[in-house]
Amino acid sequence: MTVAGTTTEAASSAPSGPSPDRGGRRLSRMLHPVAWWVWALSLATAVSRTNNPLLLFLVLAVLGYVVTARRTEAPWARGFKYYLYLALTVVAIRVVFRAVFATGITPHDHFLFSLPRIPTPDWYAGIKIGGPVSLEALLSAATDGLRLACMLCCIGAANTLANPKRALRVLPGALYELGVAVTVAISVAPQLVQSVQRVARARKLRAGRTQGMKALRGIAVPVLEDALERSLRLAAAMDSRGYGRAGTATRRSRRATGALMLLGMCGLCAGAYGLLDATAPAFLGLPAMAAGAVLCVAGLRLGGRRVTRTTYRPDPWRPAEWAVVGSGVVSAVLLFTNLGYDPAQLNPTFYPLTWPELPLVPTAAILLAGAAGLIAPPPAPHRPVRKAESA
Amino acid sequence: MIASRVGRPVASAAAALGLTAVALGATAAPAAADPQPMGRCTTTSGAVLAVDLSDWGGPILRSCGTTPTTGYELLNQGGWRTTGTGHDGPAFICRIGYSGYKNGKQYPTPAEDDCVLTPPASAYWSYWHADPGESDWSYSQLGAMLYKPKPGSVDLWIFGGTNIEGTEGRPQVTPDQLRAHNTRPTGDSGKPASTAKAPAPPPDVGTGPAPERPVTEEPRTSAPRTSTPPPPKKPAPGKPPGPAKSASPSPSPTPSPSASTSESPSAVAAPSPGTRVVDAAPAAEAGHDPGSTVPVITGASLVVLIGGAAVFVARRRRRIG
Repeated sequence: MTVAGTTTEAASSAPSGPSPDRGGRRLSRMLHPVAWWVWALSLATAVSRTNNPLLLFLVLAVLGYVVTARRTEAPWARGFKYYLYLALTVVAIRVVFRAVFATGITPHDHFLFSLPRIPTPDWYAGIKIGGPVSLEALLSAATDGLRLACMLCCIGAANTLANPKRALRVLPGALYELGVAVTVAISVAPQLVQSVQRVARARKLRAGRTQGMKALRGIAVPVLEDALERSLRLAAAMDSRGYGRAGTATRRSRRATGALMLLGMCGLCAGAYGLLDATAPAFLGLPAMAAGAVLCVAGLRLGGRRVTRTTYRPDPWRPAEWAVVGSGVVSAVLLFTNLGYDPAQLNPTFYPLTWPELPLVPTAAILLAGAAGLIAPPPAPHRPVRKAESA
Repeated sequence: MIASRVGRPVASAAAALGLTAVALGATAAPAAADPQPMGRCTTTSGAVLAVDLSDWGGPILRSCGTTPTTGYELLNQGGWRTTGTGHDGPAFICRIGYSGYKNGKQYPTPAEDDCVLTPPASAYWSYWHADPGESDWSYSQLGAMLYKPKPGSVDLWIFGGTNIEGTEGRPQVTPDQLRAHNTRPTGDSGKPASTAKAPAPPPDVGTGPAPERPVTEEPRTSAPRTSTPPPPKKPAPGKPPGPAKSASPSPSPTPSPSASTSESPSAVAAPSPGTRVVDAAPAAEAGHDPGSTVPVITGASLVVLIGGAAVFVARRRRRIG
């Protein structure tokens, strides 16, 4: 970061232009972690809109490209493949459940195979276990799972691209009250990835049993223990530096902050419920959401007022950050506006079997999000910089 | 290794079993579930299918099918076709279309409901039955694939919202306005007007609860022999169409609308202004276009292109770093 800090004019002269880095001509620095998080969450929002396997695979390809092009050499930045494994597991579980809990087959469907049927009594006739499985059912289960898998990979990309410890610094001051919980929540996934790598390396050195259930136990327990322990150690370290302290706050102001935050969270939950459930009364939707948001902001303001923070080496927010955030947000907006394409193309059906279409505007939107891989400054290539970073 | 060695014979045995099941099913399948012209349905035989398209300015379409059948089969023969949801499969009726109405367009349209997840309880196809002799609808306690209509009964699909008990969002027509009133089959011989019959189901297809014993058919010679459409309805006493969203299952007795005695082969009764009952004759299936493979090839090549770029970048990084 020191490099980026000292040569401000050089960095600002290399704005959002999608010029690829040629032999390090563009100044290498780390993008602001919040920019990567906003970008990834926008892409996840866009993904939630579509069930089209072509678009979903395109999102996966774009994520893969951006991660390989812009990840650092830090330990947490090598974990994207673990998120891919997790995504694959999600798809597999979805497909297996669809096959076991049969959803019915019609004469028009393509019969694949038949599982042994477990008879259920008449009063339980709504749920069928086993029975014939159609190609259509498996395909729609797979695309359904693929959508969730894509969203998981978006979060994985954010965890891989953004430095989790620097992301902690931008949390509002009021959240200091929740110090340990927030630290563990944000850093546990990257820590898990690091732990998996360390345990795997240790096992390789020992050359012990590397397959089967026993090996799994030998990996899972130390990994979970290690990840949680390291998160707690981080939280303790931050605590000793004043993080999570009430500071100069009086009892009354702390209570007021707590009440505002709790009420605000309740409002947000009720609002989300009202928006998702069509039968809920109208006041539960947007009004509750807005009221909750206002209360939360007020609580954060009130809580943040008394916490004074100084920043050592702040993360800069430059045009490249704006461009990355913009590419993500624009792609999400494009997928929600239904402009220039038929919304049915976003959710093709497999009943009856039909080739999915590739609508132009959503494709362009996803490619635009992928442009973040070119817009963002290249990561530092050499070890010395990385050392200064982690210090 | 061992698993695969064992798995192969098991798989082939399963395949053989499956094939036998198919063969058995093909030979042993009863000649059931034929689409029929409306006149073939009587008070004691056949099941009447009615679909209310009034939400899209359409009529209530009425068809006839033979029993035994399932509600799903009844709704997927003679030009009728349904679409399920991606999440729940074909058993959840999300769209209904009839090839003789608006070129087989299915409702609700993709713009109204994408049929990916289960539709909301405020806008979905609800399923109602009226057994022979029943004067009121009962909300179906079973899905379309499990329910087996009794001979002489009426199945009605209406679009809208209901509550769990089925006391809200009840149909506005009465079963009597829709059911067959002739006691003897009329019209052509038993041969359906169209052979667009649903193909034989795959093996082991869901067998729901068995239907009750069919009522014994007792053809009366004194029955009036009318032409294809059923005779004009007699006004149902005390069972007029209830008000919209009536919470009470039995509407108050008001003078029912006079049944139209139109000679037209369609448009039999007018349950409410704007909603007609039209008989939907068995028709051929609406064609299905499997679509073009060009988008798939384009998409796949885009994915390969971007993936290739990612691999290239990774290689270069490894070389430099």
